[in-house]
Amino acid sequence: MIGAESMSALKKLLNEEQIFRDEAVFNPYGNSGEVTVYPETEEEISAVLKYANSNKLTINITGGGTKRGFGGLMEKSGILLSLERYKGIVEHTPGDMTVTVKAGTPFNDIQDYLAKYNQKISLDPFWPQMATIGGIIAANESGPKRLGYGSARDAVIGLRTVYPDGKVIRSGGKVVKNVAGYDMNKLFIGSMGTLGVVSEITLKLRPLPKCESLVLVSFPQGKMEKIKVLAVNILDSMIEPVTMELLNPALANKLAGINSYTLALTFEDVESSVRYQEEFIKNILPADADLRIHSKEESESFWSEFYQHIPNTAAKELPAETEASLKIGSVNMSILNVMKEAELLIDLLNVSIESHGGLGHGLSQVTIRGAAEDVADAAAKVRQIAESTGGYAIVKHMTFEMRKEISVWGENPSYFFLLQGIKTKIDPLKTLNPKRFVGGI
Amino acid sequence: MKAKNQIKSTDKHIVNLAEIVGGARSILYLKEDLVAYDCDGFTIHKHLPKAVVFPKNTQEVAEVVQYCSENNLPFLARGAGTGLSGGAIPLNGEIIISMVRMKKLISVDLENRRAVVEPGFVNLMLTNSISDKGYYYAPDPSSQYCCTIGGNVAENAGGAHCLKYGVTTNHILGLEVVMPNGEIVEVGKDGIPDAPGYDLLGLITGSEGTLGIVTKITVRILKNPEGKQTVLAYFDRVEDGSQAVSDIISAGIVPAALEMMDKTAIEGVEAAAFPVGHPKDIEAVLLIEVDGIAAGIDEQINQILEVCRKRNVREVRAAKNEEERARWWANRKTGFGAMGAISPDYLVQDGVIPRSKLPEVLSKINQISEEFGLRIANIFHAGDGNLHPLVLFDARIPGESKKALEAGSQCLKVCADVGGTITGEHGVGIEKREEMRFVFSEEEIAAQTDIREVFNPYNFLNAGKLFPSPGRCVEIKKELKAQAKIG
Repeated sequence: MIGAESMSALKKLLNEEQIFRDEAVFNPYGNSGEVTVYPETEEEISAVLKYANSNKLTINITGGGTKRGFGGLMEKSGILLSLERYKGIVEHTPGDMTVTVKAGTPFNDIQDYLAKYNQKISLDPFWPQMATIGGIIAANESGPKRLGYGSARDAVIGLRTVYPDGKVIRSGGKVVKNVAGYDMNKLFIGSMGTLGVVSEITLKLRPLPKCESLVLVSFPQGKMEKIKVLAVNILDSMIEPVTMELLNPALANKLAGINSYTLALTFEDVESSVRYQEEFIKNILPADADLRIHSKEESESFWSEFYQHIPNTAAKELPAETEASLKIGSVNMSILNVMKEAELLIDLLNVSIESHGGLGHGLSQVTIRGAAEDVADAAAKVRQIAESTGGYAIVKHMTFEMRKEISVWGENPSYFFLLQGIKTKIDPLKTLNPKRFVGGI
Repeated sequence: MKAKNQIKSTDKHIVNLAEIVGGARSILYLKEDLVAYDCDGFTIHKHLPKAVVFPKNTQEVAEVVQYCSENNLPFLARGAGTGLSGGAIPLNGEIIISMVRMKKLISVDLENRRAVVEPGFVNLMLTNSISDKGYYYAPDPSSQYCCTIGGNVAENAGGAHCLKYGVTTNHILGLEVVMPNGEIVEVGKDGIPDAPGYDLLGLITGSEGTLGIVTKITVRILKNPEGKQTVLAYFDRVEDGSQAVSDIISAGIVPAALEMMDKTAIEGVEAAAFPVGHPKDIEAVLLIEVDGIAAGIDEQINQILEVCRKRNVREVRAAKNEEERARWWANRKTGFGAMGAISPDYLVQDGVIPRSKLPEVLSKINQISEEFGLRIANIFHAGDGNLHPLVLFDARIPGESKKALEAGSQCLKVCADVGGTITGEHGVGIEKREEMRFVFSEEEIAAQTDIREVFNPYNFLNAGKLFPSPGRCVEIKKELKAQAKIG
């Protein structure tokens, strides 16, 4: 509990307007805090952690607030540490194609800044206008362009992380190739804030593509076998799509007005190469598939819509329907089974489902909407489906009440003792994001 | 027992280990056999192992490890022994677990673009095994014709083409690992990405064999690019060459490789086995390779030619044909060994710098060269800032090895001081333990050894590597003196 003593201690560390206490705060997703603090410097982050850690207070960490429904069995910690005021570009050397940013910077703010130099971070997370780079890295968010450009573990080259006892640990550096010591960056990426508060992130950049196009191939008859043949042919060809994301009919309808399974292929390269690849697809198109080619602007707006289609916890009220979203990892081509089986739940459980999966990278996502009980049933079924293909499913979004009834991360892996060992070494008092991660870490 | 009878040793550990791996043919323990294992590609430091065992499968590795751990015997894993930083040197008289008999290609799954190999499988063999179907394995260290993928995982090996395609860690999807207590753990099952939990895959890759012994590896394989073309450019001034590098990158081109050699390096490669007729008086040569969709290559090549011309290039041209392209690359890829043609000994360093600092760093390296009276050649993965200063020396001259080590260390200091790092692809091993302090604080090093303790609590596995001695604030020079004495 945050008593008067703790409050006055926090007031010594921060200014009055950096501390916010509201008992009646809207909080259906948990992962909240009795007191919200807004540090503006790394020293302040460090001071708050050090104080909490030595006074047995717990801390939840937040950025743009888009992922409050992702993991976590604590409704409230003592302190909610918000990084939304710790933002900005620290360093950008265009010639080196690297950028260092503060963790609380919204993703699109960075991309807008970099666009002036014809550069970008090669990640495509959801809700990029709100999600902060720190949250994206901590949750290891990736999107369909992972096929072409990789994920956070491929883009991050350096981190500054504030440990629970307040010390600042640098990992990696500012160069794109680095094998000095353990690759500690990897430890913090996707660690859900359970090891430290990542304060600064250095990423390698890519040039903005000179030309881009979106090719939508839809399959009105919905035959998975046909989709698979095309996907395998594309993967076995010389063309280099940046995305090869299959959308289920509901999602394709929402984004492109096509009510059938649709393969979204994006090409980014010099113009001659993009045109050549479009032609290639035209030439191998199956007889019963439809094809649409969209310009760069259309492609950008399609994807920008796409990144808003999953639930977002930053809204000030709950949606009318209950929502849940699951991330599924499987062998690439098993995605077809996962999506097909998930589709059957629509009628079976009277829910709506939007799903998509990357046939070149093995990750898919299923978003379920409907009555609370049906959504919970469907989520459990989706996990069964994923596991039956040899993959896994984790819950990326659910309300706090629903999360208590389902295991967000699934069964503990056989090497759980290593995960636990790492947590215990770095955060022995379980100060940071307690119970947020695998096996209650 | 038969195996026992064949062993000519009374050492019970040798006898017991032989039994685990199937007899005398799978263990070396006589001094004359062990000398071949007293160092790896880093030859300045040497120590004999207690024995070398050759397990055939994961189970045998696990049993050997368990035996060693229960009997307090230090041990380490070794692949082809091509490592350049001393990671496989048995500093503590280790039992060496050689992975060379675990060299199978277990499976190839083209549909899901992955392959599963045993750790002793040679890097280039993988590409050779799948190239007929149009696929390849991207990480291409210069030693790829003999180095093993297990060793590549331990060192997080790079190569000339990692500018566009990344280093080993970007291509590892799954690992089977024998933990230092003998337990077998599988991370990244079936190569499925983002397994829930901390990224152990990323942590183990590049841990230089100090966290566990990798016994099975799932790697990503890629489709061959449709087209590729290489440009060669000669510059009279290093500044122009390095500015051209920045301009190419700033023009939005992502070359597959972008390599630079300076005058001394050119002298070496031209005197060695694969000369291509580089002019002797040139200050810098650039090799720039672009790959991808064939239809887009010409446009990028023209842009590169244009950029080079704007930067006062003396001569620039694209390869006339595949034969010429291959010759240019053979000339470059054998660059380290080529130094043998112009110097009795050489020491290769592996700093990384922000690309934009190249002219500054090269001029400082020149100063170091003058100060120590040793020639330094520079071979540079210019695209990603990975600099290989090659310090040329003659070990027969008393004191010169020591000077070379010191000069190499000074080069790394320069790299660290401009915001770079001390190793881009060769690893820390024994060689750069003390230089870790150039880039990390005492606390940061402790944060890393904390992780080691989780995996390897008793430190029987490859002890004494990667980290400086704890709590010792000695001058690096002292350490180097000690190293030179051993050499």
